[in-house]
Amino acid sequence: MIVKMSKVRILGPRDRLGEVLGVLQDTGVLHLSPPRPTLPLRSIELTAAQQRLHRNLRRVLADLDAVGTALPPTVPPRDAPAPATSELARWARLVGRVRRMTDRLAGRVAALEEERALLLKYRQLFASLAPLLPQQNTHQHGRVYHLVLRPGQEAGVQLLRQELATFLGEAFELHERRLPDGEIAVLLLVPATAAERTERLLAAGRVHDVPLPGPYRGKPLAEAIPDMAARLRGIPRELAQIQQERERLARAHGEELARARAVMYDHLARLEALPFSATSRRAFVLEGWLPTARRQRLTHELAARVGDTVVVEEVGREEWKGDDAPVILSNPRLFRPFELIVRQLPLPRYGSLDPTPFVAVFFPMFFGLMLGDIGYGAVLAGLGLLLHRRSRPGSVLRTVAEIAGPCAAFTIIFGALYGELFGDLGHHWLGLRPLLFNREEAIVPFLGLAVALGLVHVLLGLGLGVANALRGRHPRAALGRGLTALMILLILAALLASIDVLPAALFTPSVIALLVVFPILIFAEGIVAPIELLATIGNVLSYARIMALGVASVMLAVVANRMAGALGSAVVGAVFALLFHLVNFALGLFSPTIHALRLHYVEFFGRFYSPGGLEYHPLARWTPPPRPTS
Amino acid sequence: MEIALITLSAALAVGLPALATGWAQSRIGAAAAASLAEKPELTTTAIIMLAIPETMAILGFVVAVLIILRGGA
Repeated sequence: MIVKMSKVRILGPRDRLGEVLGVLQDTGVLHLSPPRPTLPLRSIELTAAQQRLHRNLRRVLADLDAVGTALPPTVPPRDAPAPATSELARWARLVGRVRRMTDRLAGRVAALEEERALLLKYRQLFASLAPLLPQQNTHQHGRVYHLVLRPGQEAGVQLLRQELATFLGEAFELHERRLPDGEIAVLLLVPATAAERTERLLAAGRVHDVPLPGPYRGKPLAEAIPDMAARLRGIPRELAQIQQERERLARAHGEELARARAVMYDHLARLEALPFSATSRRAFVLEGWLPTARRQRLTHELAARVGDTVVVEEVGREEWKGDDAPVILSNPRLFRPFELIVRQLPLPRYGSLDPTPFVAVFFPMFFGLMLGDIGYGAVLAGLGLLLHRRSRPGSVLRTVAEIAGPCAAFTIIFGALYGELFGDLGHHWLGLRPLLFNREEAIVPFLGLAVALGLVHVLLGLGLGVANALRGRHPRAALGRGLTALMILLILAALLASIDVLPAALFTPSVIALLVVFPILIFAEGIVAPIELLATIGNVLSYARIMALGVASVMLAVVANRMAGALGSAVVGAVFALLFHLVNFALGLFSPTIHALRLHYVEFFGRFYSPGGLEYHPLARWTPPPRPTS
Repeated sequence: MEIALITLSAALAVGLPALATGWAQSRIGAAAAASLAEKPELTTTAIIMLAIPETMAILGFVVAVLIILRGGA
């Protein structure tokens, strides 16, 4: 549900505005709104000095953010007082100095990582050439080329040897060695005078010399290889030293920088809040929204800390529009993870309906209907538990893990109803029988179930649309949605009566009712009503995808099981079956998620959801952003 | 002969929409990839857009199944 909000107006002496903003920031509940132009007051504009301070704070905070991610985390002290100007200047100098140091350390880490990657890349190649090194030493005044030929280019080596022999005779040495991945490492030694011609020959054959990494270039390979190995051993030591350096920096300045960051962000927020106030020569007015349940607390807090010269009054509901109010979603613990799905779209407008509880019921149900397998459900539950343990509370991963739980439960429930455990394995091994129907055979009943669920879901959406329109005082839109729902029911009744599922006597009244309702629908919704009606029927049929994906899922599982017996060797068959089940499980996670989302966003939300709600951002103390989970 | 025709009809019923879906998704996918490079927050919209043409293939599959079941192939 969407939390009920109140709009309040705070009035007080102008010289106490800063103090009031401080209290509001400490309380952290008021979402400030711009002053109304109708008020006979002037909006505050930042003075030149305040604008300069704003720019400087932004600049220093950019450095602080960069330093904050580069150093080990430090918790800022909570009782940070407002900073003196001299302290801000000192902090700016300190931040600049630490930023330069962390940048230098980051640069060194990047260079070391790059060097290590390069050395690891070339280590195998040059190590394979090591046994050929004595030959290299005989050519002290020649040129050395390290070549790599792709697998299958053995003939190229022979060709190169012949070409070199035609113009150098015996004045060259060529040694080859096959690498573990099939490539051929070639060590070529030629006199320095023949270097140019040799390089032309190599270029024509599109064979390129692999040079030694920078610091070792020019050294004989016999010296370079041990040097490179020693360097590889030394890099982790240097990286550890850099980490120690960072920890030392964090110990020396971390707490002060964390405090500076919190204080500066808080100061910046108060500066940015100033233009939200309107003032006369002696008084100020602030307006904003807060949850109705928090209004008393804010009033008491202001009275206690600022005194009775500041007044908080509630702005009447008739003075503000719902579209201007910020939106807070608040749902029971069980439904809360599904807010993540709703939040992928713009928030619902204030005063409209929060679809989270409906998503929390239908999303896992549709997912389970499509995947529907006890085995896959158990694996999903295991993965969800693992993800839950590995994730931080409040993180997106934790929310995904919490959504996976109900999805796994519904998958297991529908798996039991379909009698499926890794496809038909449960039937063959454990004699599992379907409680509802067998998806392999009962395709038409499954289709009927899917479309019937679609009908319920879309009708529910239309019902919510009626409620939303009535709450927004749009009776005509409410009438249109209600009539659309009625027409769909009448069409269904006529169809079922025509195929004798319902009594045939219902056919004529249904058709007559349709003919009566249709013109009223056009009156309520306009000329687009027939198109909307067809689109809604199309939306109901779209739920057939539940059947289609469900059948595809069970068929793939059955094929996986058949592989075990069809490939001659039982072990090979079992491995292939396992791989196929793995692929099916991966598809079974992805496709039902995407299609269940689509059914909600397009078919369900399309009937009632009114996006465009404002995010609730109260003036509050800054809290450090969570660090990414490692 | 009748079975062959029924099977061919079913294959066409699912095959042609699948081709159309593939073509539509290729266009949407390319546009979505370009959009996501600039605005990663559009990921959900992009995925939904990409899933929309699949309705054609899915309904084609449903029709194919009905052709086979009704035709007795």
